[in-house]
Amino acid sequence: MRILLVEDDLALAKALQQSLSREGFVINHVNKGKLALVALSVPDQDLVILDLGLPDMDGLDVLKKLRDKNSHLPVIILTARDSIESKVKGLDYGADDYLPKPFDMKELLARLRVIERRIGTASSSLISIDNVKLDTAAHEVYVDGDILSFSKKEFMVLKVLMESAGRIQSREQIESRLYQWGEEVLSNAVEVHIHKLRKKLPNKFIKNIRGVGYTVNKSISK
Amino acid sequence: MSIRRYLVLNLFAALTLITFVAAIQGYKHSMTRASKQFDQQLVALAQTLTVINLNTKNDKNNKNNPKVLQHESSFAFQIFQEGELVLRSKNAPDSAMNHSFAIDTEIIGFLDGNFLGQRWRVYSFVDLIKKTSSVEKIIIVAQPLQKRFVFAQDVILSAVTPMIIAIGILSLLIYIIITRGLRPLRQLTKELVIRKANDFTPLKLKAKNSELESVIATLNQLFSRLNSAFERERHFASDAAHELKTPLSVLKVNAYNIQHDLTHILNYENDSVNQLVLSVDRMSHVIDQILNLNRTNPEQLVIDSKVVNINYLLQNVIRDLYDEISDREQTIELESEDIYLMAHEFSLQLMLQNLIGNASKYTPNGGYIKARTYISENHDLKLIVEDSGNGIAPEEYQRVFDRFYRVGGDRHNSTVIGCGLGLAIVKHIVLLHGASIELSKSTKLQGLKVTVMFPKSLMNAASNKTIPSPPEVMKNV
Repeated sequence: MRILLVEDDLALAKALQQSLSREGFVINHVNKGKLALVALSVPDQDLVILDLGLPDMDGLDVLKKLRDKNSHLPVIILTARDSIESKVKGLDYGADDYLPKPFDMKELLARLRVIERRIGTASSSLISIDNVKLDTAAHEVYVDGDILSFSKKEFMVLKVLMESAGRIQSREQIESRLYQWGEEVLSNAVEVHIHKLRKKLPNKFIKNIRGVGYTVNKSISK
Repeated sequence: MSIRRYLVLNLFAALTLITFVAAIQGYKHSMTRASKQFDQQLVALAQTLTVINLNTKNDKNNKNNPKVLQHESSFAFQIFQEGELVLRSKNAPDSAMNHSFAIDTEIIGFLDGNFLGQRWRVYSFVDLIKKTSSVEKIIIVAQPLQKRFVFAQDVILSAVTPMIIAIGILSLLIYIIITRGLRPLRQLTKELVIRKANDFTPLKLKAKNSELESVIATLNQLFSRLNSAFERERHFASDAAHELKTPLSVLKVNAYNIQHDLTHILNYENDSVNQLVLSVDRMSHVIDQILNLNRTNPEQLVIDSKVVNINYLLQNVIRDLYDEISDREQTIELESEDIYLMAHEFSLQLMLQNLIGNASKYTPNGGYIKARTYISENHDLKLIVEDSGNGIAPEEYQRVFDRFYRVGGDRHNSTVIGCGLGLAIVKHIVLLHGASIELSKSTKLQGLKVTVMFPKSLMNAASNKTIPSPPEVMKNV
């Protein structure tokens, strides 16, 4: 996956470049908003990591200009401004994720993986958690190597949860993903799908966080 | 006491007092003048009476039978000739009027005496009929003193009456003038009273008088200086945030890289690097908390409240903290429904982060955390966060809200990242919202139970505003 890193702090850019390259990402770095827009005018990037405090223009303006050009390029905002206002603003402007500085490298990598799986640029279409494997390309699920059959909607719900393993997905979030695939969603549909999924999957694979949502832990054995 | 009241009352009192003293002085003065006048009249009358020719020789037989003159004047008179009363006015007694009982002798000249039930002013005068003659005629005239008082009172009353009316008019004028004169001051006071504590915009008052003009100018100058000081203070937090957080990120990423290279490439476990990573984490936590403490300081924060759904905030906070919670194999449960209140979203979220973060931090692995909200019987919103940790001893309940105070002091378990600011921040935010906080032991989970009570006014204010459409689902998939 090719990532455009827009960050004016050279030391941070360098360190990020080092760790991200090692994880197999291809990094291009620019230190100004205008340069970022120039680089993005050619569609050869898969993702943008954007710092908001740029020397020549506000990072949010870069994001706005990018979205104005009807680009759906995933954007992760990286910023020292951690107030909820700028977080909401960033997400409103169409950022895909938001990480306040100082962020955890593992956290950034996890979020990059989520986006990578979603846009399908992952080297493998296989998401594997414990003994459950989900093939996003073939639409198949294996438990301990045995193929299991799921309905289309059940598969989608499981995909949403496994893509973002370790993070809680609210009922509304899962519903909105189903909507994105053009599916009709009934009020209690998510609960029904989860109920069916749980019967087929290993015990406690899908966790319910009462009052918040559902999640698949990164690794149960942990 | 207001300046206006003070001025009006005191001026009125002074005016009345001085007028009264002046009236008394006037009365005394009029009295002396009147006495002099009346005395002169008495003298004149006595002298006039000398010309009356009394043929006493023909009236020898009438020796003890003086002539009585009928007249309608207040004056009384007696004429004695050779010791005999020969003529008297109707209102005069038979005995000599100039007889002073005090010294039991007859006095020539002026004298105040009592007879016929009145007090009189008496004047006696000896008239020698001829210079050579030894025949003496004593003329005594008298006038009731009452007459003089009445006259003096008349004089003073006619002088004082217009003054009393003048006092009335003057008081009214003083009241009006003072009220008008103090109007700009009153406007200034009003403007300052309704002003919010954190409003530093210049006063819009236009002063017409030079004294207030300089007061307002000075105040405005002060406001603008305060304003820029507060702005600087506010900006300091965000500037410091940016200046500290970026280098910290560099530290963190580099520490991660070193750790990764050592373990994955060189297969070398090095505790110093692990300690470095931990210390960087700890430092970023402390910096975050110090900035948050500064940012939520009730004196600093300009609170711009908006309608907030506490359930939505709680879900978000739990989602953000879930990584830590699942790492520690803790179970968290939220029992809440959509409750809207007027609140400062950022600080409220920060408070929930600190409360739930603390619950997770101080609860052993595999423990339970429960957060719930409900509307209590007296319509307050209650937020309860409880855990199955070790809790806090009741005697420490008060102190845990102090800055940098940590339960157990230096013996504190250093594996838990913390700096003792979390609950101080929570306290700030509780104060900001006019809420109250209470610590107790959880009966269900045996750990700490934190109860925050938000006044019902916050919910009422929110329900008066239109409830916003459900917030867009966060796209953090």
